[in-house]
Amino acid sequence: MTRKQKRLAVIAGALVFLGGATTLTFYALGQRTSYFYMPSDLSAKPVEPGQRIRLGGLVEKGSIQRGQGTEVAFAVTDQEKTIKVVYNGLLPDLFREEQGVITEGAFDPAGNFVADSVLAKHDETYMPKEVADSLKEKGVWQEKDGG
Amino acid sequence: MVEIGHFALVLAFALSLVQAALPFIGARTRQDRLMAVGGPVAITAFAMTALSFLALVAAYVQSDFSVLNVWENSHSAKPLLYKITGTWGNHEGSMLLWVLILTFFGALVAAFGRNLPPVLKADVIAVQGLIGAAFFLFVLSTSNPFVRLVLAPIEGSDLNPVLQDVGLAIHPPLLYLGYVGFSVCFSFAVAALIEGRIDAAWARWVRPWTLAAWIFLTGGIAMGSYWAYYELGWGGFWFWDPVENASFMPWLAGTALLHSAIVMERREALKIWTILLALLAFSLSLLGTFLVRSGVLTSVHAFATDPTRGVFILALLAFFVGGSLSLFAFRAQSLQPGGLFQPISREGALVLNNLFLTTATATVFVGTLYPLALEAVTGEKISVGAPFFNLTFGALMVPLMIAMPFGPLLAWKRGDLAAAGQRLFAAAGGALLAGLVALLFVDGVTAFAAVGFGLAAWLLIGAVTDLVLRAGIGSVAPSVALRRFAGLPRSVFGTALAHFGLGLTALGIVSVTALQAERIVAMKPGDTVDISGYVLTFDRMEPVRGPNYTEDRAYFALATEAGRDLGEVISSKRVYTARQMPTTEAGIATRGFSQVYVSLGDPAANGGTVVRVWHKPLVTLIWLGALVMMAGGTMSLADRRLRIGAPARRKVKAAAGVPAE
Amino acid sequence: MVPMLFWIAAAALTLAASLAVLVPLTRKAAGTEPAGRHDIEVYRDQLQEVERDAARGVIEASQAEQAKVEIARRLLKADSDGQAARKAGSGGVVRLAGLAGVLLVPLVSWGLYSAIGAPGVPGEPLAQRMARNPAESSIDELIARAEKHLADNPDDARGWEILGPVYMRQQRFADAATAWRNAIRIAGSSAQRESALGEAIAAAAGGVVTADARAAFERALAKDPNEPKSRFLLASGLAQEGKLAEAADAWQQMKLALAADSPWHEPVDRAIAEAKARLEAPVAKGPNVDDVTAAQEMTPQDRQQMIESMVAGLDEKLRANPDDVEGWQRLIRSYVVLGRADDAKAALARALAGLEGDKKDQVSAFAAELGVKVDG
Repeated sequence: MTRKQKRLAVIAGALVFLGGATTLTFYALGQRTSYFYMPSDLSAKPVEPGQRIRLGGLVEKGSIQRGQGTEVAFAVTDQEKTIKVVYNGLLPDLFREEQGVITEGAFDPAGNFVADSVLAKHDETYMPKEVADSLKEKGVWQEKDGG
Repeated sequence: MVEIGHFALVLAFALSLVQAALPFIGARTRQDRLMAVGGPVAITAFAMTALSFLALVAAYVQSDFSVLNVWENSHSAKPLLYKITGTWGNHEGSMLLWVLILTFFGALVAAFGRNLPPVLKADVIAVQGLIGAAFFLFVLSTSNPFVRLVLAPIEGSDLNPVLQDVGLAIHPPLLYLGYVGFSVCFSFAVAALIEGRIDAAWARWVRPWTLAAWIFLTGGIAMGSYWAYYELGWGGFWFWDPVENASFMPWLAGTALLHSAIVMERREALKIWTILLALLAFSLSLLGTFLVRSGVLTSVHAFATDPTRGVFILALLAFFVGGSLSLFAFRAQSLQPGGLFQPISREGALVLNNLFLTTATATVFVGTLYPLALEAVTGEKISVGAPFFNLTFGALMVPLMIAMPFGPLLAWKRGDLAAAGQRLFAAAGGALLAGLVALLFVDGVTAFAAVGFGLAAWLLIGAVTDLVLRAGIGSVAPSVALRRFAGLPRSVFGTALAHFGLGLTALGIVSVTALQAERIVAMKPGDTVDISGYVLTFDRMEPVRGPNYTEDRAYFALATEAGRDLGEVISSKRVYTARQMPTTEAGIATRGFSQVYVSLGDPAANGGTVVRVWHKPLVTLIWLGALVMMAGGTMSLADRRLRIGAPARRKVKAAAGVPAE
Repeated sequence: MVPMLFWIAAAALTLAASLAVLVPLTRKAAGTEPAGRHDIEVYRDQLQEVERDAARGVIEASQAEQAKVEIARRLLKADSDGQAARKAGSGGVVRLAGLAGVLLVPLVSWGLYSAIGAPGVPGEPLAQRMARNPAESSIDELIARAEKHLADNPDDARGWEILGPVYMRQQRFADAATAWRNAIRIAGSSAQRESALGEAIAAAAGGVVTADARAAFERALAKDPNEPKSRFLLASGLAQEGKLAEAADAWQQMKLALAADSPWHEPVDRAIAEAKARLEAPVAKGPNVDDVTAAQEMTPQDRQQMIESMVAGLDEKLRANPDDVEGWQRLIRSYVVLGRADDAKAALARALAGLEGDKKDQVSAFAAELGVKVDG
């Protein structure tokens, strides 16, 4: 191989590598990201059981039921529709009735949302951003009384 | 006192303007006296900023609620330590810390840059001054911590309890030392582009600054990771949270820069690339500052949400990144090509390293910014989390780690891969053995995890192999080998240590990911739970009153299965009275390199308390590895080569010219 | 004193900063070595290093030779660059730029600081404020001091009794209620303490005599059947519930028991008159603004009138801009609280006419909770 050919080979190798990395990145973006839904979005465009999504809203008042041990069930609402969520694990410190939460998981065939992670707002003035935006659009939540 | 601090801040801004202008004019007209202004002005600007910062700290310590910032973020009942750390636990204070560190690095260049040619030094100081002036303007106009309240309230509104932790004392300052440290590399790159003189010597001059920033950033990231691990109560050490990514991107780019600068110094090759990386590392730091400070992200760290600030930082970002890249584009063609090399060579290995690291930076960049961009364009909200990063970033790291031990063993210019492979026989054997042992003798290890263990062993043994071969241990007489070992340049030790540290971190991550055990149980006093050979007994629950919180403290007794007592683990649920905010304080018992982690949950239906217990094998190696990497960096920084450059008659003075750690 | 010290310090700092610019300019130019010298040192060191490595056997001799040739080439280049690089500039630039720089420091700093600084505002360290002579302290500081004292001695009933009325004046009604509860806990129940507690609870509830407040008043009257504040406010409670006739009756009874020179005659008379007026003409009149502003003391009645004036304002606003769910909810609740059930109904009807979709449902659900329904 001449020097020129070698250089071409190196450049071609680098391009193949970069192409591979780009493909991988976009493949992963397509597969490994989860979309954010509010309960009423789900009635508009339903989600297949088993597909991972993030479900956000307010914890419905009076809906928290603690089962034996660490199981807990509650309902997430955006004041229009309500979705029942089951979760097995430790709830975050700031998990309370009528406060914003984001849960991540998938629907089981029976239509319950099985969450494997539950995030609550982080401090007194912070509402998960997606939840706050969506609730504001619906006019349910105002800066002051929601916080 | 408060107002003197405010005045000193304004004065520092004025000095930064002079620092940006005079040395620059001096360098263009080759006037030594104008260039000489840079040093004293940079040092004075630092002194003024330090005075200003101390005034703010004093206001916090004395609970001076006539300062708006203190009133918003402090409380008289807070322990002294958290009063002090509260100074930078908020937007305004942390930006003041940012400029303090920026001027600190400017002063360091002025004080220890005697080995630099005067024109280069003047340009570097001028660029530092320009960055400083821009950020002082930002602080003074949008984030002034010295805004006063004429009728001082009597009590403050307290600091976010999550931030009331020793972690906050160390994490942001270290992180900023790293972030902002890259500003020096940036200034060096811009200075080199202005003069158009970019040669091997430049790479050597910029190296200690890159190293220093890299060491601090490594420490800052590791500290942040450990802090999240024990303070947030989820037991996770890395969340791929946008804020973490914001600090991780400059680290990846900085690591790439460290490696490419070696090639530039030795062979005068990769000049354009190295300059570009130096610009990128700081640009990514600025991007991180923008992401965290503008409030476009919401997470634990997002304590600032004011659009005017966001737009201001975005403008700064555009100015510095855009300006430097235009200068780069303008100058890049005029650079002369450097030394040639074969693909299989030390240079080739370092290029490979750079290829992987920058691609990894790019994937993190995409994963962090794609959701923001998508939301801005379509309004759709997605979350890009751990699965994405594990797939892309992981896929890039595996080949990098496989290639890593080869690098130091290859010769410059033209290397012999087969020979290097032969020398790594021991490492390969060790890796294979480690993988097999893990697969066959440890419960719950999958084939995938076994590969991980093998890879970690490969890195660890590979790093040691490098040292063994260089010292000739085994091939020459022990006494000769010992002498050669002691005589090795410190940078060689630095490389080996840093690579070894990465191996430790990898081992910790693989081990925790593959072997961690978790139990979630509802417990009443007297109940026990078994986990990975330990028995945890819930002893009792007691209410305790802290200085500014009340807590329910749960006492657990930890013992081995055989019944040997290993002491007490205390975990608690805390409520901070001023904000009525609950937090979970995890109980952690360290056994060797492993930890038992106990976190309290809510009351369970049967009257007990939900308790979450983890056994995290070798988890501390994740952060110990980072410490070893820092030690490696420090070792390299102490290498005598980095002090060279001052003309001979100044050599004695210049010998002291290493930046302080 | 303090500003004076500040100006001196500021002037000293400015002087120091200006000197940092000035001194290097006036110093004689330090000896200048050719620009290439620094590079040459680096390359010379690289050469030595290669030699050391070769001597140690870390690199092969042929590689060492190659490296040395390369470094030597850089050495030569740096040397020739150094010879060519000198460019002379004129001293005029130094003087001009130097002057601008030296002037810039005081001008920018004093100019900017005078625009954004607050040199006259003294620092207020908490310890100093606490130690200050009480006569010079603000109410807030005195309260903080009392709170600190009570945090350390929570069983000082006297302290709580002093703090209770102060809290009321500061409009910190919930704190006042806590203070009175503490006083009762420690010093025992008395008519005066219980009635103060009831008043605080009612004030915290926006003037509404809640069940808790009523219980407190009843305890007060058990101790002293003629305690006027309790009797008055209990009657107000009846009026709030819409039992106007009973309220007027209660006030009448109270008036009979009052001493001739009691300050309560006037408010009681006014309350009776108003109750009767409302009994006769169910459509309430608007708020009497003059009364409100004229009232110096916040008697419960004044407070109620003030609420009425706010309600009227809200009503007016909602007529102009009916698309405000929260506003309607507040208005309906206020009318219920004021015992104006018909107005509440009317407001609900107006809300339903002015709103659309879910908002309609929200308001009617809210009203239903309060027992307000539109007829038919």
